[in-house]
Amino acid sequence: MHILLIEDDELVARGVTAGLRLHGLTVDWVGTAAAAQAALDSFHFDVCILDLGLPDEDGMALLRRWRTRGQSLPVLVLTARDAVEYRVEGLQAGADDYLLKPFDLDELLARLHALHRRAAGRSVNQVNHGSLSFLASTGEVALEGARIDLSRRELALLRALLQHPQRVLSAERLRDSLYGFEQEVESNAINVHIYHLRRKLGPNIVETVRGQGYRLGAAGW
Amino acid sequence: MNRMSILKNAAPEKADKTLSAKSRIGRPWSLRVRLLTIIGVSLVTLWSLVAVWMLIDVRRELRTALDDRLAASARMVAGLVMQLPRESMALGKPMESALDVVARDGLACEVSLLRGEVTMQPVARTTSSPGLADVQPGYSTRSFGGKLWRTYVLQEGGIRIATADRIDVRESLLRDIALTAGIPFAVALAGSLLLLWFGIGSGLRPIEKVRAALARRGPSNTAPLPETQAPPELRPLVDTIAHLVGRMQEAMARERRFTDDAAHELRTPLTGIKTHLQVMRLATRKADGALVAQQALADVERGVLRLQNTLDQLLLLARLDGSLQPAPQGRSFADAAARLAIDDAQAGQPAKGRVRLVLPNRTIELAVPESLLVCALRNLLDNAMRYSTVPSEVVLRVEMDENQAVAFCVCDEGPGLSKADCALATQRFWRRGTASQGSGLGLSIVSEIASRYAGSLQLRPRNPAGLEACLKFPENFTHQTTADMAPASGY
Repeated sequence: MHILLIEDDELVARGVTAGLRLHGLTVDWVGTAAAAQAALDSFHFDVCILDLGLPDEDGMALLRRWRTRGQSLPVLVLTARDAVEYRVEGLQAGADDYLLKPFDLDELLARLHALHRRAAGRSVNQVNHGSLSFLASTGEVALEGARIDLSRRELALLRALLQHPQRVLSAERLRDSLYGFEQEVESNAINVHIYHLRRKLGPNIVETVRGQGYRLGAAGW
Repeated sequence: MNRMSILKNAAPEKADKTLSAKSRIGRPWSLRVRLLTIIGVSLVTLWSLVAVWMLIDVRRELRTALDDRLAASARMVAGLVMQLPRESMALGKPMESALDVVARDGLACEVSLLRGEVTMQPVARTTSSPGLADVQPGYSTRSFGGKLWRTYVLQEGGIRIATADRIDVRESLLRDIALTAGIPFAVALAGSLLLLWFGIGSGLRPIEKVRAALARRGPSNTAPLPETQAPPELRPLVDTIAHLVGRMQEAMARERRFTDDAAHELRTPLTGIKTHLQVMRLATRKADGALVAQQALADVERGVLRLQNTLDQLLLLARLDGSLQPAPQGRSFADAAARLAIDDAQAGQPAKGRVRLVLPNRTIELAVPESLLVCALRNLLDNAMRYSTVPSEVVLRVEMDENQAVAFCVCDEGPGLSKADCALATQRFWRRGTASQGSGLGLSIVSEIASRYAGSLQLRPRNPAGLEACLKFPENFTHQTTADMAPASGY
């Protein structure tokens, strides 16, 4: 899951980034509305965490602009302002969820997973794909009931494929989901993770669509 | 009964007394009663004066008219008697008794013949006549048998005609007239008071309308007052209330903004601390998490420091804000305060000696407590050091300006502020752009300290770059001790 964190406070941003990364999520942090817009224009994100007090623009205005432009990225608003009217205003501006500072990292994680799940049209935490079952909140993977250990990147790759089971995802898109935009990665880095995923979950779990990208295939042997 | 319970019992009694005293003295008259009293009393007084005046006039006129009637009657009788042959009267021997005529309208009359200068012979008289033989010619008022009479005597050609009427009859006539005129007068007065009561009521209705409009508003209603059709006399009141409501709403909005900002400032570092603590817990469970945990610990410490700083600033500001209390008194020396502030500001900084102190040639004493002066200077120095890069110099210059005010000027070579930002910078929680290190309260505190001691804080951009912040205290708040030379400059 590729998260865009828009937060002007460095301390909070570093904490959230570190915490979510420890949970196996890919997090990119920007400090201003302008940077957020630039990031959103050039990368794919699954969920956005938006702090309302941004230095260059009100977070609410940014969100409203996104929604009027048809940007459907799930947005979780993070704020220290707790008056009810702020929450109502936030939700009316197009926020999908609202979390008050100081929050619990586990709660943030659960809500991010819920938003991600809802965006894929699922209402339960567990994803079943053939003989493969995947617990979105904890990242536990089982094949025919047997638990499989996956590395952080492998998990991120599987999560991205499971989120859009019918769609062909480009290599860049998958790279965004795995690494975020901060890291310089070599062009074949994804292939390594695809190779490991095929070794652990069956040779057809990732289908290569020539010239376009990759797609989720059948699990198991 | 112990002392506490005595005290407890005594308190409500006292409260009762003050309450009743308040209701007795403080209850003002209603506007309606007030107006009615003022208008009613003046109306009654004025009309009563007019009535008395009229009564006096009528009385005089009546008296003249009745006197004229007496004279006219006498002349008429004289004319009649003249027509009679003198013999018919003179012939007869002196009558034993005069001819008695029954009079009907309360007028008495006596006719006598004069014989010589003093003797006279009564000829005829009305039965009601009290005996007018010894009355002087002309008008006079006499008492006969305890009753007052008005008399008129006419002597002409040997005949004496005396006419008289009773004063008490005259008085009762006057009373009747007064009563006839007075009853409608009194009724009209009562009627006009009644009309006044209702008239005032309807005249005061616009006030009631305005009151109702005000009563309908909730405390959270931020809309301006509705445009009621208030008469011109009420307009200033309505405008004043509208103005007051507007200012209160502004103050409320400001308070709310402050609370929101304070919540944001306190919750943000708290969030950072909490998140980093959770990261630490997570990281210690992982095999390769030692580095992450270490980093998180360092961040927690930073967060705690920031939270502490913000709390300190907020508390200081709250104490300074208590404008009901008098400002704490104290004195300080400009050079000592400047040195202390520089020490404090550089304490946590890796790069020492960035601040250069420039002092004037004499000792300056200020009527500002040293702790507050140091705090203000430290905030200015903190800002200067925070927003300028490390090798650049920060200068603290103490000088007497052209208005004989002591100026503490802190100059840096950082990015500075635009003119518009300079105006905003002393607002609470204002921060420049993305900088998130400060609490946003430093300049508010400096400005608050300045205003409590009749000083001022001026920010202006420097040429070509940087910011100059001048904290000034006026001359009458300073006094020189000696002309002893202080070190000229350098720290």
